[in-house]
Parts: sequence; structure tokens; C-alpha cells
Amino acid sequence: MTAPPLANGPLVNLPYVGTVLARFVVFIINSILGFIGWLIPPLNVITNPIASWLASDIIIALLAILLEITLVIAWATVVHLLTFIWIERKVVARMQDRRGPQLSSLRQDFWTGKRNPFIGFLQQIADALKLIQKENITPTAADKWMFHLAPGVLIASTVFILAVFPWSETFVVSDLPVGLLFVFAGFSLAPLAILMASWAQNNKYTLLGGMRAGAMMMSYEIPMVLSFLALVVMAGTLDPILFVRSQEGTNIMVPQRLQGMLGWIPNWYVLSIPGFLALLVFVLSMVAELERVPFDVPEAEEELVSGWLTEYGGMRFGMVYGFKWLRTLLASALVSLLFFGGWSGPVLPQEVWFLIKTYLVFLVFIWVSWSVPRIRIDQILHLGWHRLIPFTVYNIFLAGLWVLAAALQSTVAYGLLGVAVLVFVALFVVPTLRVRGRMPAGLSGEERAGR
Amino acid sequence: MVDLFAADTLGFIVVSAIEVITSVLVVTAKKLVWATFWLGSTLVTIAGLYILFGAQLIAVIQIIVYAGAVVPLMLFGIMLTRTKVMEEEGA
Repeated sequence: MTAPPLANGPLVNLPYVGTVLARFVVFIINSILGFIGWLIPPLNVITNPIASWLASDIIIALLAILLEITLVIAWATVVHLLTFIWIERKVVARMQDRRGPQLSSLRQDFWTGKRNPFIGFLQQIADALKLIQKENITPTAADKWMFHLAPGVLIASTVFILAVFPWSETFVVSDLPVGLLFVFAGFSLAPLAILMASWAQNNKYTLLGGMRAGAMMMSYEIPMVLSFLALVVMAGTLDPILFVRSQEGTNIMVPQRLQGMLGWIPNWYVLSIPGFLALLVFVLSMVAELERVPFDVPEAEEELVSGWLTEYGGMRFGMVYGFKWLRTLLASALVSLLFFGGWSGPVLPQEVWFLIKTYLVFLVFIWVSWSVPRIRIDQILHLGWHRLIPFTVYNIFLAGLWVLAAALQSTVAYGLLGVAVLVFVALFVVPTLRVRGRMPAGLSGEERAGR
Repeated sequence: MVDLFAADTLGFIVVSAIEVITSVLVVTAKKLVWATFWLGSTLVTIAGLYILFGAQLIAVIQIIVYAGAVVPLMLFGIMLTRTKVMEEEGA
């Protein structure tokens, strides 16, 4: 692998920014302490040790980490969460031939005298203000403590992911060697919070919705992690930064003699056979994990009022609902990191590349969500357990052969890979052509009446 | 003599205190759902201990397998069975 001719660099060095901010905060506090000591000299006995303790390395480091976490949470929620909700509303409105939110905006002709392109952007803030004003109702029959605790667990498990999630090579709080697995751990904690919330509300609709959500999320985590394993076989690392670095440079399948002509093809995992198949499964499982529309049986409005969120009101609803978009943000960022080379790309800074890819992936999520109907819970579970899991297990085998073929570049290895792909088609693609006859059909109207 | 104010010692004391308290709450909780919730918190704090010991992979696996899969399974079991059993006299 050769480095790309125009390598891009990171824009934000988060540890540096955190340390500078921490030193600044300590400087201000110590100035105040010094002023107090100058005003009342006997107090120097107390203020001087406190000042020297605050200026010690470990306190600066701790404060820097706290500030970094705060910055990353603000970056993810204030900047991107609001933008994501706005984009979803506007795009869905366009798909449904509406205009979407358009009144809450900065004064349109104030800056440019033209129409404001960010029209309706302040709608989310207006909604949040409305939700904060609402009364915080706790149902009488609810388990009060768990009712209040469950949204906290959901939010904590989401913010947990931000601790290791990189936005560029240096825009990351903590660069864990097992960072990607940590992200999946964060996603895997959600069913716990949802089951707690659904039980605590003491309502049959919430319990049904929570059961559906828990069953769906737990069964789709398995194909999600298995499809990710195929990529781990190809990348050989769980560190998100090394993972992106392994996708830089020319595609490993481009033979030596064609380097000059096809050298521009990047080594993104979406451009390999196992990587592309993993992408299909991964996006499908992610949509299920996020409870977006084809998999939104947990909150099917027509059957279950609002699913496991039914009894939540006011800002508590707002937080849980808003954090779904934070999970969507992390999911689309994860897809672009795993499959589309993350921040690798020419010229532009890494953050810019990463955000371009993330937003494009998010547009695909919206596009899929709003153009397909909901599927039944039994079909969802059938798809997850009977189809996606064998598919992804075979895909791991394909990934191993892919790495072997790229390393050997020999005819035998390519032949083996070709045979494996043919077996794959025979095993998984051909039966799918008859999928209508194989999926468990629901009861027809007469059968249901006969029961 | 252990330095009580070293960062990892403080972290160990805090995390293990939470773990001991929640593990006592697992067996004293009146409602089974609460017991599983406390069990989940115990398992997550055990993952915290693994991180303090420098075993990050085991910590993450602990969260995925135990807190992410075993506890929801127990919750399923509890929620799908009759809740009256615990509240009946003499049961």
C-alpha cells in the first residue's frame, strides 16, 4: 500500500484544545484565589496550597479530559443532532411533497436580503423550549424511580459511545485499542434501558412495544457484529484510527501491473466483495437497531399508540426521542468509518471528509426509511435469525479468502475466491428469489375469522 | 502503604464501592426487575474494574455479553411470566 499523493490532515487536536482550556480555567481560578489572598493576607494559608494543587499536572489532566468530553458532547448534540433532525424533516417533507418547517428561522432578509437557506432550522429549538415548559407527568401506577431512571440509562449508554468515537485522527477523547468494540457495547446497552422503561410505565402498550424493541434489537445485534467481524478480518484491528488507516491507499485487489491505471481506487471496504455484503447486512441491522421505519414495529403508531415511549411526556420524551437521532448520527458516522474510508480522502481536512460521508449515509437512511412500509415482527425476527446470521457467518469466510487472495495474488487463490462466491450465490441469492413462498405468511382473513 | 490519592486507587475505591452496594441491592430488592437492574449495574462496574486492571478487551466483552445480553434475557423472562407470583401470600 502506498500513501495517497495528497494526504489530508486533521483540523482539530482535541487533547491540545482540552489542555489549553483547562490551563485557562485554572489560571482564572488561581487569579481569583490570589486576589483573595492579597485582599485578606491571613487566608494565604488556605489559598496558596489550593492554588498549587489546582496547578498540578494531574488536576490539569483531569480537567482537560472533562472539558474534552464536554466539547465532544456539545459537538455531537448542538451541532449535528439539531442539523440531523432538521435535514430529516426537510427531506421527508420534500419526499411527501410538502415544505416542512419553514417559519422558525432567523429573520430571512436580515443578513443577505435573500431567502434564508437554513429556513426552519430553529424549529428544533422551539420544540425543545415547548417540551421544557410542559408539565412533567408521572403515571400513578408507574414504578416512579425506574420511570425516571430509564431515560438516563438510555442517554448514558449513547453518550458512552462518544468517549471513544473519533471524528478525525486527533479529534477523539480516548483512543482505545478496542474502540470499535466499545461502540458496539454502547449500542448493546440500549435494550436494557428500553425494557426498563417499558416495564416501569406499567401500561400494556409500552410493555408490548418494549418487548418488540428488545427482541428486535437483541436479534439484530448478532448480524451487525458478525458483519463487522468480516471487516475486522480484513483490517486486522479494532482501533478506529488504525481501521481508517487500513483503508487508505490503493485497493489491495489491484494487481501490480495495473497500479498506474487503477491506482486511484481506494481500499475502502465497500469496494470489496465481502465488505459490500457486510455493508448490506450492517445497514439493515443498524436501521433495526435505530427503530427506523421498515423496522419500527416497537412504536407502530396504529397499534401501540407510541410504543415504549407512550407514557413519557415533556422534556423526558424530548430527550429520549432526540437521543434516537444521536444514535442515528453515530450509526451513520460508524457506517462511513467502517465502509467508506472514514476521513481518508485528498486535500480537504479529515473532519470535512468524515462529515460529508456521514451526512450522505444519513441521507440514505432517510431515503430508505421513508420509502418502504413497515414489516411484521415475525418477519423481522425470521429475517434476522434465519437469513442474516448464516449470511454473515459465510461472509466472514469470504473475507478470509479475500485477504488470502490479495496477499498471494495467485491464480489458485483467485480461483478459490471465485468458487466461494459461486457457492455464496447458490446458498443465499438463489433461495432468496423464492423468498415470498418461504417467509412465514400471516393468517388470511378467513383463517383469522375461523379461530 | 498504598497511596490513597493516586488516580487509579481512587477509581478502584469508588467503582468497587458502587459494585458492592449494587450487588447487595440485587439480593435485597423486592421487585425482580429492580434486582436485574442492579445486577446490570454490578456487571457494568465489574467492567470498570477490568478497565482499571488494564484489560480493556475483557471489559468491553463483559459489557456486551453480560450487561447487553444476559440482563435483557432475564428481564424478558421476568416480564413474560406472571408478576402476581411474587406478591401472593406465602409464595
